[in-house]
Amino acid sequence: MGNFDGDSGTVFEESYATTNGSGKVANGNGAVNFSPPEKEELLSQRKFSAPAYTEIRTRRCHAKPAVDDKKPSLINYHPEKKSIPNGHASSLRDQESKPNQAEGKLSPELEHFQKTSFEEVPLHTACLTYLGFYLLMILGYINQLLFVPKVATEKGREGYVALYDAFESFYSRYVYRRIKDCWNRPICSVPGDELTLKDRVTDDYGWSFKFTGTETRCLNLGSYNYLGFAAATGRCADDSEESARKSGLAYCSSRSELGDNEQLQELEAQTARYFGVEDAIVFGMGFATNALNLPSLLGPNSLVISDEKNHASIILGLRLSGATTRVFKHNNMRDLERVLRQGVCYGNPKKGGQPWDKVMILVEGIFSMEGSIVRLPEVIALKKKYKAYLYLDEAHSVGAMGSRGRGVTDYFNVDPKEVDILMGTFTKSFGSAGGYLAGSKKLIDFLRTNSHAHCYAASISPPIAQQILTSMKTIMGEDGSEIGRQKIHQLARNTRYFRRRLAQLGVITYGHEDSPVVPMLVYLFSKIGAVVRTLTTRHIAAVGAGFPATPIMEGRIRFCLSAAHTKEQLDFALEAIDEIADDLGLKYSRKPRDPNPVVY
Amino acid sequence: MLNLKHLASHAYRQYELVTCINMLEPWERKLINGFFLIMLSLVIFSSFMYLPDYLQTLMQFITPPTWHSSPENSAYVAQKMARS
Repeated sequence: MGNFDGDSGTVFEESYATTNGSGKVANGNGAVNFSPPEKEELLSQRKFSAPAYTEIRTRRCHAKPAVDDKKPSLINYHPEKKSIPNGHASSLRDQESKPNQAEGKLSPELEHFQKTSFEEVPLHTACLTYLGFYLLMILGYINQLLFVPKVATEKGREGYVALYDAFESFYSRYVYRRIKDCWNRPICSVPGDELTLKDRVTDDYGWSFKFTGTETRCLNLGSYNYLGFAAATGRCADDSEESARKSGLAYCSSRSELGDNEQLQELEAQTARYFGVEDAIVFGMGFATNALNLPSLLGPNSLVISDEKNHASIILGLRLSGATTRVFKHNNMRDLERVLRQGVCYGNPKKGGQPWDKVMILVEGIFSMEGSIVRLPEVIALKKKYKAYLYLDEAHSVGAMGSRGRGVTDYFNVDPKEVDILMGTFTKSFGSAGGYLAGSKKLIDFLRTNSHAHCYAASISPPIAQQILTSMKTIMGEDGSEIGRQKIHQLARNTRYFRRRLAQLGVITYGHEDSPVVPMLVYLFSKIGAVVRTLTTRHIAAVGAGFPATPIMEGRIRFCLSAAHTKEQLDFALEAIDEIADDLGLKYSRKPRDPNPVVY
Repeated sequence: MLNLKHLASHAYRQYELVTCINMLEPWERKLINGFFLIMLSLVIFSSFMYLPDYLQTLMQFITPPTWHSSPENSAYVAQKMARS
């Protein structure tokens, strides 16, 4: 449910941002009459006894296995206590860490199976998950029958067709609402390695929220800030500020009219150089890059073969394009070949088996919900075999993968020109906003004349473009520093450490060993809420994902690692996760656990 | 004593989590807990009241009567089967 904000207009958050809960406190440190320790205690009491936080208090685990390497006393990090400046990542301690790079010793297939894990769910957990879900649905229907929902309703609308899907609004009112406080949480700081959550409480079980006026400093494990460029200080921020002072905030016009400028052309040239392709085009919005450019590339007589876990923006783009879409099983090359062969052999059934205009394979670099990496060498081999095009969405992988941060092509040491269309966003690793398409000059020129997002959408705002430019130059090392390389190494190291430690704890994680998106499976719907709430009381912010975004069975907590995290922060998080997993019963894994301590 | 209390609270927490009770409103909690309690008590009650009889009958039915058993005894079994 990370992407699920489908309130469908049912709950208008009436009391959102109206008053602070107790009415008196304005800025979080309101209880001025108390001495500091008392004040702190009172604050945390008020904060965590509020209804939005009536979570499961975890007890400290006393019986630790003897083989455990960690000594909790060594971790002297806490988000509330220390104030680390929200700047760039600290310099790396030693340089010989392994970058995020496929080893290439085994065949791509073997390496994939060695590094990727999708552990089966235990049978009893699967049954309980479904039973719990049925119970929630039944209770929801009883609720709907007995009570009038506390939502704004339209009047004088008799005879009109209902605007919203009945099931969707039922779901968001009676199932999602119960743990709604775990999503869409307002923050009031830079989402760097730490962030400040604005506390809110609910008096009516999630129908409406009130701000308490207090804040919680949390370790941030929820932002896609892979390289740690989202910071309020540092070179990127200074350059962006200067750019805003120099060129203003927006051009208020589209690229093909008055919105074009030197900076954006420099950005496009830089992007093309970054990926090692002929040309690139940039857009102001990552979602629109997929949703609006796919229709200009594909027509009704095109065949698209799309991974089943592709992002909503791709699916929307495919629907808009009117192309025939066939779906293959997630990252399954045998299934991809089967679908591809069938499509190519039988042709377009709507036109009596005539050949397709285009056949395109559509995959993502890192799948954001699964944490898996596309099997690119094999996809490219298949693409060549069947003469199809390849569209690679690198929204999550650009910057985060490869020894030079150039995405999955760099990770697998594949020539980027083998991929026909490289797509990605600037939102994640670059800490900015927008998206790009990169490829051959011919393709980009075609898009410049035909793309809706190029013709009609406003151009990127100068400070945002400057942030992309500066961070891209930093990654490429063009600013003459080692910061970019250090960040890439730090991320690779954090990722490997965190994933190995989680596996050692015995929780089930999905995906590839080198992917910085780490979904931790909790399965049950109730456990998503319990874990997110409990993590918040432990000063850790993480994202839960439930039914509309994932299959019913596979509720999960998603941790996103960043180069801005330090080992102390990760240890702090892992210790909390360990206790919570013991307490809430998340250690589902039946794999043998590595008894040796994990080296950072 | 403390350990027992811990154990009980842990067990109740697990029960709350697997049945999604921790997400519910108080009245729903009471409803579901009451439902489970009633079901549990019915099962316990019936297993104490009726199960021994049933088992006895079943045992008589599945264990073949020895060849020298008296005829009225086997007739009694059949009769009881018919009644129950």
